[in-house]
Amino acid sequence: MLVLTRRASQSIMIGHDVVVTVLEVRGDQIRLGIRAPRDIDVHREEVFRQLQQANRLAASPNLEALEKLGSMVPPDEQQRAPGNDPARRE
Amino acid sequence: MSATTDANGRSTTNDQEMVPVLQFAGGLPGFADLKEFSLVRWGGDNSPLSLLRSIEQPETEFVVAPPAAFFPDYTPEIDDATAERLNLQDSDDALMLVILTVDKEPADATANLMGPIVVNRHTLDAAQVVLTGSDYEVRTPLATAS
Repeated sequence: MLVLTRRASQSIMIGHDVVVTVLEVRGDQIRLGIRAPRDIDVHREEVFRQLQQANRLAASPNLEALEKLGSMVPPDEQQRAPGNDPARRE
Repeated sequence: MSATTDANGRSTTNDQEMVPVLQFAGGLPGFADLKEFSLVRWGGDNSPLSLLRSIEQPETEFVVAPPAAFFPDYTPEIDDATAERLNLQDSDDALMLVILTVDKEPADATANLMGPIVVNRHTLDAAQVVLTGSDYEVRTPLATAS
């Protein structure tokens, strides 16, 4: 791990395009501002781990159970679709 | 699937019309390399469910739904950084979807309310975002909703 020491308003560059700025230091909390290109998502680490695990668990949906779920759901309000009309699965 | 072009010049496959393809520039946590997902309605006319299926890896798919279908009081704000990243001019530009985890029992299905997916309706740019400072859970049971 690379260790750097910064004061408030100082920054760190990660690669060519990611800038991390120490905005404020208050007690044991540090406010960081992050500027990153669109193809890099920035998350608090523990949250990222949670999302990672949750996504991995969700990525193999049990389609049989899903069938039952689909019929359990009451008709909802009109769902607006992004872009063109979404396809309908037969 | 064979592709043909219809009268309007849109490409269609032989069993479905053109589907929206969402662009996740940053991938998804746990799936860094998957950037393109098709969004296909699932379950018939009255179903709010859709399948978000990876183009690069079609065996990877997520069940998603607009949160309003199950959680009418869930109306999180989209933060400025997300709005900027996805080029959202106002809240009408955004479509929100939550990922459902569906295991064996449909009654045990849960929704990830902590990390919803936000989509720019017009460009189809999308990202999974985290609601800062929220008390939302990654596995919120649907059964307790409404």
